[in-house]
Order: sequence, then C-alpha cells, then structure tokens
Amino acid sequence: MLVGAFACAHTPQLLIRPPTEDRDLVLRVHAAFARVKARLGALRPDVIAIIAGDHVEGFFLDAVPALAVYVGEEALGTFGPYRYRLPIHEPLARTILAQGIERGFDLLYTQAARLDYAFYVPLHFTMPEPSVPVVPLHVNVYLPPQPTPRRCYAWGAALGEILRARPERIALMASGGMSHFPGTDRYASPDVDYDRSLLDVLQAGRGHEMAALTAEELDRTGNVELRTWITLLGAVGEAKAQVHCYEPSWHHGNAVVEWPV
Amino acid sequence: MSGELHYPFPPARAYRLNRCLYMIKSDQAFCARFLADPREAGTELELSEAERAALSPFDRDALVGLGGHPYLVFMADLRLRMARDPGALEYF
Repeated sequence: MLVGAFACAHTPQLLIRPPTEDRDLVLRVHAAFARVKARLGALRPDVIAIIAGDHVEGFFLDAVPALAVYVGEEALGTFGPYRYRLPIHEPLARTILAQGIERGFDLLYTQAARLDYAFYVPLHFTMPEPSVPVVPLHVNVYLPPQPTPRRCYAWGAALGEILRARPERIALMASGGMSHFPGTDRYASPDVDYDRSLLDVLQAGRGHEMAALTAEELDRTGNVELRTWITLLGAVGEAKAQVHCYEPSWHHGNAVVEWPV
Repeated sequence: MSGELHYPFPPARAYRLNRCLYMIKSDQAFCARFLADPREAGTELELSEAERAALSPFDRDALVGLGGHPYLVFMADLRLRMARDPGALEYF
C-alpha cells in the first residue's frame, strides 16, 4: 500500500556547502527535510521507492535508459567523502519491474549501476530511524531525448497501481527540482516565478496538468528534473500538495513537498 | 530545435570529451591524474588539441562549444574545485 508521497530537492550544495551558498537558506531546507523525516517516522514505511534522474553517473553515454529499476541486493555510490550502501527491497523491485513490463513499459533494470547524489541527498536527510530498504527508480532527465512528461505521468499512474496492490507500507519520493540550469549561461537565473506558479497548481490538486508540459518548456524553465515529480504525480492523482518549503537560492529553486495519499 | 535547448543531445563527435568530463566527475583515480597533468590525462583519452586546450585552463564556454554536455562540464568543474580546496566546504 502507498502510505506517503514526497518530493525533495537534492542539489549537492545542501550536503556539501561551498562558501557561495547561504548557510541559513541551506539550514531552512534541512528543517523541511527534518519534517519529512518526522512524517516518514509517523507513516512507518517498510520501504521507500525513490524516483530520481541519474546524473550521468550510473549510466554514461554507453547506454541511456529512459526508465529503469534497480533490482539488486544493495546499491552503492559515492559523493565527495560520502560512501553509501543502500539495501534494496528486492521483492518490491522485482514486482515493479515485472508488472511494469507487463503493463507495456519497457523498463531497463540494473543490479549494479552506481547511485548518484540525486538518490542519496534526500535519503541522507530524511531516512527514518530505523532505516528501511529502498527501491531506486530512474528517469532520464539530462540526456535528450528524455521521456515525455506524458509518458512519465503514465508510468507513474501504473506505478501507483502496482504499489497500492502490494502488502508493504510504501513511501514514494521524487528527487529533484525545481528550476536550475547547471553548466549553462542561465545558472544564476533560476525561473522562480515559474516554480511558484507550478507549486500553486500542485497545491490546488491539479498535478495532472503537468503531464501536458513539453520537453521544451521543462528545458526552458530549468525544470528537466521535474520528470521525477511528474512520475510521482501519476501515482498520487489529484491529491493537493503541501509545500514544506520553497527556498530559491541564487541558482536553484529548492522545494520540499508532500502529498496525502 | 535541439540547438536551442539548454541541454541538447550530446553530439557523437564529442563522445571522448564527454567521457573525460564524466571520468573527472566520477573516477577519483582519473581525477587525480587529471589534476596532476591535465594534458597527459587528455592524451590518455585521445582528445583533440582543441579539447585538451579547453580543459586546461578549464573553459566552460569552449567545452560546451565543443559538444561537452553542460551538466558534465559543471560537475567536472565542481569536482576539480572540491579536490583543490576541500577545506572551503562544509559537510552535513
């Protein structure tokens, strides 16, 4: 069963803060993460299914999957001095893979790809105690052509059905967003107004409208990563979002959001 | 259309350059070799003269112009700066 749904920023400066970042802002985002951690503690999930976009870490240009499921015993990764080893809930991962393919989604699976900070940062700050296993779910966000928002939403709808039919208590988490433009001329100009208008849409329970966004609009507004949110929105339907924080830095719209399920 | 995107399709001609950026980002041993001798590290990956020149000194605009994926350019630069000055960072 699905017991909770969340979206969390994952920008690495939240984990390793360079002098360029406002420390108070970083701590306010940490406080929102702490609220998610408390919520997860109250919801008592058996597993967290986390949807994130690989940042050309697990998958380089040798092979670029649109959608993937990690089906191993554990997932490993590193970022700076951090070494992480996340136990995988293998029965759930295998069910998502098999039923996803049965429903027409040609999922790639991996038992060894490295997990990048997009998976690790939210879990570093929000993993309840005692910790629970995870199922990492990958959506290609940075290497075009990415899956369309419509396809992400459809996959999320199927995923939601799969999760609701399971006996485990499952929390669903989308990692990423909001507006940012790493490596481009617009790095210092995130589209904060666009982010705020999207949050209004989500708070009104109109998340399904994001399925109609185009790849060009997501790219133009620095929101290629919102494909992970759109996937989650397919699973939560018309639930009204509760915004735990929106903290735009000079380069990144940091949001932490929850949906009742 | 793709030419107007912030994150365009990575052109095949830039595969080796993007592999170098990826390895700076994700392969600590290669990153150390790059820091010690960027030109030699570029030669190891059979980069062109223009690509090696754009990597040292690190020139974001030139690297993107050569087909480097902007995110890989960004993270390779960040990892190099983290390696050069780890004391400036706060870890949570």
